[in-house]
Amino acid sequence: MQTKTRINTGVAAAGALVLMLTGCAGSSADTDASSLTIGTMTVPQSLDPAEAMGSAMPYFQAVYDTLVKREPDGGYTPMLATEWTYDESLTELTLTLREDVTFDDGTPFDAEAVRANLERFRDGGGGQAQTMALLEEVEVVDDTTVVLHLEQPNPAMVFYLSDAAGLMANPAAFDGDSLTTDPDGTGPYELDQDRTAVGTTWVYTRADGYWGEDLPYDEVSINLFDNENAIVNGVRTGQINAALLQDVDQQAVAESDEKVETQPQDIDYQGIILFDRDGHIAPELAEPEVRQAINHAVDRETMLEQLRDGQGETTSQIFGPQTDAYDPELDTYYDHDPERARELLADAGYPDGFALTLPRMSEIVSDPLATSLQSDLADVGIDLTWDNLDSGSALNSIFTEQAYPGMVMNNAQPAEDWVTTVELVLPGTFNFFGTTDETVQDLTHTIQTSPDGEAADQARELNRHLVEQGWFVPFYRMTFLHVSDGTVDVEPQSGMAVPALYNYAPAE
Amino acid sequence: MLSFILRRLGSGLLLLVVISALAYLLLSLPGTDVGRHVLGPAVPQQAVDAHNAALGLDRPVAVRYLDWLTSALQGDLGRSWYTSEDVSRALANRLPVTVSLMVGVTLVTAVVSFVLGVWAGVRRGAVDRAVQTVSVLGYALPGFLVTLVLVLVFAVRLGWFPAVGYTPLSQSPSGWLATVTLPILSLSVAGIAGVSQQVRSSVIEVMGRDYVRTLRSRGLPASRVVFRHVLRSAATPGLTVLGMQFVGLLGGAVIVEQIFGLPGIGAMTVQYTTRGDIPVIMGVVMVTVIGVILTNLLVDVLVGWLNPKARVS
Repeated sequence: MQTKTRINTGVAAAGALVLMLTGCAGSSADTDASSLTIGTMTVPQSLDPAEAMGSAMPYFQAVYDTLVKREPDGGYTPMLATEWTYDESLTELTLTLREDVTFDDGTPFDAEAVRANLERFRDGGGGQAQTMALLEEVEVVDDTTVVLHLEQPNPAMVFYLSDAAGLMANPAAFDGDSLTTDPDGTGPYELDQDRTAVGTTWVYTRADGYWGEDLPYDEVSINLFDNENAIVNGVRTGQINAALLQDVDQQAVAESDEKVETQPQDIDYQGIILFDRDGHIAPELAEPEVRQAINHAVDRETMLEQLRDGQGETTSQIFGPQTDAYDPELDTYYDHDPERARELLADAGYPDGFALTLPRMSEIVSDPLATSLQSDLADVGIDLTWDNLDSGSALNSIFTEQAYPGMVMNNAQPAEDWVTTVELVLPGTFNFFGTTDETVQDLTHTIQTSPDGEAADQARELNRHLVEQGWFVPFYRMTFLHVSDGTVDVEPQSGMAVPALYNYAPAE
Repeated sequence: MLSFILRRLGSGLLLLVVISALAYLLLSLPGTDVGRHVLGPAVPQQAVDAHNAALGLDRPVAVRYLDWLTSALQGDLGRSWYTSEDVSRALANRLPVTVSLMVGVTLVTAVVSFVLGVWAGVRRGAVDRAVQTVSVLGYALPGFLVTLVLVLVFAVRLGWFPAVGYTPLSQSPSGWLATVTLPILSLSVAGIAGVSQQVRSSVIEVMGRDYVRTLRSRGLPASRVVFRHVLRSAATPGLTVLGMQFVGLLGGAVIVEQIFGLPGIGAMTVQYTTRGDIPVIMGVVMVTVIGVILTNLLVDVLVGWLNPKARVS
């Protein structure tokens, strides 16, 4: 919820970029190649890992290591944990830890520290309480071995340990709230308190005696902006070395400047989540035909062309191309067919259409999007009313009061399909009315209890079932643009909008 | 004079308390579920309730305000609900940025508009018409347009100045100058247009007065008449307008701060107000009110010093 449009994004660790820059940094750190300045619009609530969110990971990766490292292609490699293995029941995950790691104050990083961190995430009520909800017990076997006992298998556990829930802080700093502004991890950098102005600029300098391979930059700054226009200007003039652009107009400006290097990546998708598939608030939505009709009514091609300058790809599925569940055929499952939509509505018993009210936060639903959806739906007889909400009260009325049958959202498409399944399909976060059916139950059960990759067919089947049942109305995957001033090579992170801090290196 | 200043400071303090109470009450009205907003949709309600309780949001507004006031009087403005940043520290970080702009803009505006205004008012004729035309143009041009053009030309195309960012004066004076020059220029345009018109018309008015005619008829050099006598009386309206503009910059610099990515008070106000981050907004409100009170006082003192007649009224 930090970036203007993203509600949840995971982020991750990635490839080891080994570039030993010898030479002393000294204090003259202006614009030499050994410093990196990243422009962003994402702000972390604090630098305490208990409050970390995926989209803010670079702030944390500078000072904390994760248990597991996530490579740019989505694969996992050792970091603080050198090995991880499941038992046959998939409810015991054994981690072997590195031996030579200490926190800044000399406290060793060991199994006890892992236990303290994971239990704190689970019990702390912060962002990761949900990801660690199935964690029953953390058993310390010896200093370098720890076993995570799970209530039920969790196919996304290793993903989480490579994400925010894998960030390991010094347990000695758990008392009080010092971690919020004074992070204490085992990572490659330290926060330079004197030059950091929280809310504006975060400056990180190399940590002495980092256990791992040094990252290529002596110094990393993350600069927060509240608009992409400033970011683009900064990249064009070299004050910012790298950034991610979501806005198509700013993307076009960046692309028109030959000094700026650009790299497109399709990440988040935009669409309607229909929460109320059992018809608690909007009885019409209980009929699959109605949900299908909405899907057929939406003119995805025109929307993509008009709203995002054609930058993206239309789709009817919520799972991203990196997942097992993804099926290219489902990108075109619902074509724009108002005729068919009217038939479906008539079949469902609503030949004259019906009225639908959705919440609208202007950060997500722009004027053109609001108008476009309204006219597409009106064309088949559905009278769409927008309730304008400010972002302060919106979450409250949508998630706490559960006052709306659906909402337009931008969602990430993480490379791990179980993450999407937990958030969007299983009863819970975005399925708060708890809709399910036998097919969904059977398939999710199989996927949850199968070893990694062995339930790929079931994942695809689940995806198809959800599309056929019209649980969601996805519009398109949006193309985001990685931009740099030409001095930095950025490797995009699979399934994530924000590249890991490890993915930056001086341009060759 | 001293009792005048003390009286003004006393009423200023009262104003500060009244405004803080009003602001706190108004900010508490919308009823944002802060915990839900901070923790996100995924978190169970009890965690949200716990978070709200930890922030003290389960207590009545009056109690919360008194708590805030007590800590504020002891110099503790609390922490941001959303970024955990210490409010005093955040203000201390951002105030120099905005103050740099305000002082810079005021100096540039004062110098240029007094020069232009006096020149036009004394010379009249073609000079006057030229200055008037330029003023109207400067006033009519939308501020953000001027700013964007300045950025595109002098930063992006010519590369003379950085397009974004701020270098503190203490870190590098030349870097500081480079980062504030364009923002100051763009904010000065409208100000110069307004103040120079004020100065011009007062100069014309004073020039027509009897005592000026007498002075001139005695053969005093024109420059001496203008600088010793005319300017002294003519400066008052210009100074008043300048003071108002100075105060306006506290909030008026928002767009410029956004375009240049300057971490000032204006940009901060927008960011935190939309999220309903009361501790931070209260901090901004306090700083703004104090700024307004001090500026008005300074202008009054300055005007009184220049023009003894004003002291009597």
